[in-house]
Amino acid sequence: MNSLSLSEKEAIILANDSDPQRILNILIAIQYDSEEGYIDEETAKLVAERLHLSQARVYEILSFYAILKTEPQAKYVLKICNSTPCLYTGGGMLSEMLETILEVPADEPTPDGLFMYHSIPCIGACDQGPVIKIKDTVFGDLTEAKVYQLIDDLQNGCYQEL
Amino acid sequence: MIKRNQPVLLKRITKMKQATDVTEYRKYDGFSGLLNAIEMEKAAILDELDLAHLRGRGGAAFPLGKKWRHLYSSKSDTKYIVCNADEGEPGTFKDKALLEHDPLSVIEGMVIAGYLFSAKAGYIYMRGEYRRIQKIFQEALDNAEQAGFLGENILGIPGFDYKITIISGAGAYVCGENSALLNSIEGKTGRPRVKPPHLADVGLYLQPTLVNNVESFAGIPVILREGGQAYRDLGTEDGGGTKLICLSGHIKNRGLYEVNLGTPLQEILYSEEYGGGSSTGRTLKFIHFGGQSGPIGALRNLDDCIYSYEGLWDKDLSIGSGAIVVMDEQVSIVDYLVNVAAFFAHESCGKCTPCRLGTTRILELLTKFNTQTAVAGDLERLEKMLMHVTNLSACGLGQSVANPMKSGLAYFPEEFEAGIQKVAAPVKGGLW
Ligand code: SF4
Ligand code: FES
Repeated sequence: MNSLSLSEKEAIILANDSDPQRILNILIAIQYDSEEGYIDEETAKLVAERLHLSQARVYEILSFYAILKTEPQAKYVLKICNSTPCLYTGGGMLSEMLETILEVPADEPTPDGLFMYHSIPCIGACDQGPVIKIKDTVFGDLTEAKVYQLIDDLQNGCYQEL
Repeated sequence: MIKRNQPVLLKRITKMKQATDVTEYRKYDGFSGLLNAIEMEKAAILDELDLAHLRGRGGAAFPLGKKWRHLYSSKSDTKYIVCNADEGEPGTFKDKALLEHDPLSVIEGMVIAGYLFSAKAGYIYMRGEYRRIQKIFQEALDNAEQAGFLGENILGIPGFDYKITIISGAGAYVCGENSALLNSIEGKTGRPRVKPPHLADVGLYLQPTLVNNVESFAGIPVILREGGQAYRDLGTEDGGGTKLICLSGHIKNRGLYEVNLGTPLQEILYSEEYGGGSSTGRTLKFIHFGGQSGPIGALRNLDDCIYSYEGLWDKDLSIGSGAIVVMDEQVSIVDYLVNVAAFFAHESCGKCTPCRLGTTRILELLTKFNTQTAVAGDLERLEKMLMHVTNLSACGLGQSVANPMKSGLAYFPEEFEAGIQKVAAPVKGGLW
């Protein structure tokens, strides 16, 4: 199930001129705009059809690119940079901290469906490490206290745009 | 006039209030490079580029003039211009600054290329992580088109039609490799192609294609505005211009800086103007240059190092993307390399066996050294594996995996040796 309506998805495809060159722009936009944060089968079919591509091509793309997901995601997916500049400036603690706070292993949503976390490579914010990224927003220079604060704030709905 | 020790690429960034505004951009010399270019003979444009001696800023450091000349001489009515904005090298965030805060400079460079090669279509492939910046860039494109610098009959020149499209990446480091990037633009998976043929002959949709990095394109207007010689004078013998560098790791003033090629490395690390020294109070130990695939230098050997192409080559190092990741003495080189290896094992596209399996084997071997469970012969196995992956891989990713490992081995052999079990491991824990 995808929370975007057919016409919302079609609008995204049209905004990209139904251009197969921009298939990644399209898939990412749909994924980010939907609440579940993934591309379901129905959406993959629609994109294939509108761009005149085979479904196999679309699935190949979905499985190749790390940002694209084919499983429902939590509302807030906390992405931890684990590349060396961040890892050695405090990033190493983040996964453990989140495991303790959220009580789930990486890549598994919390029972309330609110949180999920996993590691990703560098996001270009290496001068602010350690960092967590949620959708397009980067939270940098994190300390233990700031991580607790961030989780609290998210729970209290402080970040409407995310 | 441009002078040494003043920002050239970053000069507008602090001044402009609205990065996408064409009028403001023009107030700070924007588009004057393009305006000069259209008054020049095309051959003269190429001469200026050669004179400037700009080396590609994505990492490969190939002379840009030569690359452009190659494309210029290829006979085809359709040529494509592609800007590689898939900045994914850990420790690198320079292109992001230009794309976000001075997008029109990148656009101007791409338009000059469009003019020179009579290209109709340009593409900028921007990493999916920079989604917010894609919007800013699109706004800059729209503004440039409205002002007559893109679209049809640009600057009133009949037939000068040129359009730039943003293509998003979606999280694949390998797409930073130029041929993989072109496949990705074509709406396919981003796996590298077998080369030759050269992309300047058989590139996007099999047509001759120019691929340059963001920072390289941003340098083009400077060259055509100030002249090739003035640009060259900003750098050194083996490479003209300034370089954007990204300081990160255990350094006090982490961030983005612009330096003249030829600046002493010690100044970059320790002067207050730049790095400001160690952030942890501990002695700095090694530097990883140019991204994960770059070489590592031991600080004890770098007292007299000059940050320039030849200055680093002299020390078996390289500038690469401009990343300067500094680590203090508490970091074990083996532990560091385990994480570098994990990155490659994760990012290998899997197309060729030596890279797909080799990166995994390298990771396993390094982990053994790190957990002190390596055995006699493992060092030789590691060295052999590094050689195989370097020589048998099809693209730059696999071919450069060994760079950091080999330099780590060369400078800190004792840390590897300490990982080799000499006695049977003691039983941990209690009696059971
Ligand atoms: S060397 Fe590695 S990344 Fe490059 S094509 Fe081969 S498998 Fe893919
Ligand atoms: S290394 Fe973490 S953002 Fe670049």
